Amino acid sequence: MHAKVITVTSGKGGVGKTTVTANLAAALAMLGRRVVALDADIGLRNLDVVMGLENRIVYDLVDVVEGRCRLPQAMIRDKRFPELYLIPAAQTRDKMAVSPSDMVLVCDQLRQDMDYVLIDSPAGIERGFRNAVAPADQVIVVTNPEVSAVRDADRIVGLLEAEEHGPGQLIINRLKPQMVARGDMLSIADVLDILAIDLLGVIPEDEDILVGSNRGAPVAMNGSHSASAGQAFRNIARRLEGEDVPIMELSHQGGLFGRLRAWMSGR
Amino acid sequence: MLAEYDLELWAVLSQHEATREAARALGLATRLAGSDTDLDGNELSHAAGESGDAQELLAANALFCQETVRSGRSIYHEGHVVVLGDVNPGAQIIAGGNVVVWGRLRGFVHAGAHGNREALICALELSPTQLRIADEIAIPPAGRPERLQPETALIRDHQIVAEPWRARDHGRD
Repeated sequence: MHAKVITVTSGKGGVGKTTVTANLAAALAMLGRRVVALDADIGLRNLDVVMGLENRIVYDLVDVVEGRCRLPQAMIRDKRFPELYLIPAAQTRDKMAVSPSDMVLVCDQLRQDMDYVLIDSPAGIERGFRNAVAPADQVIVVTNPEVSAVRDADRIVGLLEAEEHGPGQLIINRLKPQMVARGDMLSIADVLDILAIDLLGVIPEDEDILVGSNRGAPVAMNGSHSASAGQAFRNIARRLEGEDVPIMELSHQGGLFGRLRAWMSGR
Repeated sequence: MLAEYDLELWAVLSQHEATREAARALGLATRLAGSDTDLDGNELSHAAGESGDAQELLAANALFCQETVRSGRSIYHEGHVVVLGDVNPGAQIIAGGNVVVWGRLRGFVHAGAHGNREALICALELSPTQLRIADEIAIPPAGRPERLQPETALIRDHQIVAEPWRARDHGRD
């Protein structure tokens, strides 16, 4: 078995790296894959909270790296799925506790009997980012449709290209179709125009995401209605699996009037 | 991008081996600028004038960059800089000579950084965050230009102006 190591990163904080990591891990696990989610945000760990596994932490990534436990001991199994594991970050240490080569070693061990290793990168472009990206076979860049997030994503893509990780694939998170229709938010095309990398998926703004994160139950697990964020995450998981799933049509609730206006403006 | 504007890049002049390699990989003609011969091996006449040698030296030393220059990248070069790709917001290019962007210029460019007020900045889409030529600074008007066309920025009467690119401007001295 040879797992694919995918790092989720963004540059800017708060755009949804942890949400994307938790939900893609859940969605891939629902497809029957063996998945481990690895929190590389040492000192500011969140992935355990979003996945609802915080109270089960015994050992963490730094314990593994410093030899206080074996790797399987730090893997917390999420019992809601056949095979989903979390390796939490240490909360009381900082990014310097782990080096890029430590991350490569840990991931090489995980590759043996997993299908996917999803790494939740910290914000920024410093050590934590370099740790998270070092073992990556594939990098997902998360951004929001706003100028500052896109600017930081562009910086990240440049760094990835310089480190020969390829340009990465893009997820646009928290898109509000109504705001795009009003011209108050960057559209998918605007974002792609600047970044010019492959689009892996678009996640609509969805209150259920916040509810799910607070409850420790990623929305990809449920939320069957078609245009939800949960569906968007499940679609991305299928794309990672190599399926050709078209990008979800995100219609705003404009009805006939909205469509008429779109026609009149020549779109 | 090239075809869109019905233009063709046919040669790259440079003394930098790496630049010429990149150009050759694209199937473009190259020669050692300043070697006194043109593509066919004919002798070139030296440009006359007080700054002729300096100009030629600058021209000889062009940096050719065939990629998108992304946010956070900084390119500094004594001579001319040619970018085949976009210059994104947050990126900066500082050149002693001219800057030609065969793509969209949305970042920061300083041409003639050592005080050459004759320096030019050209782009297929000129919508930078800020432009500088020598010691002049220009901030373009907000919003996207209504018609996208190749433009040249240069100093006229102590300020930087942008003009639509026309073939006959090409021979400006």
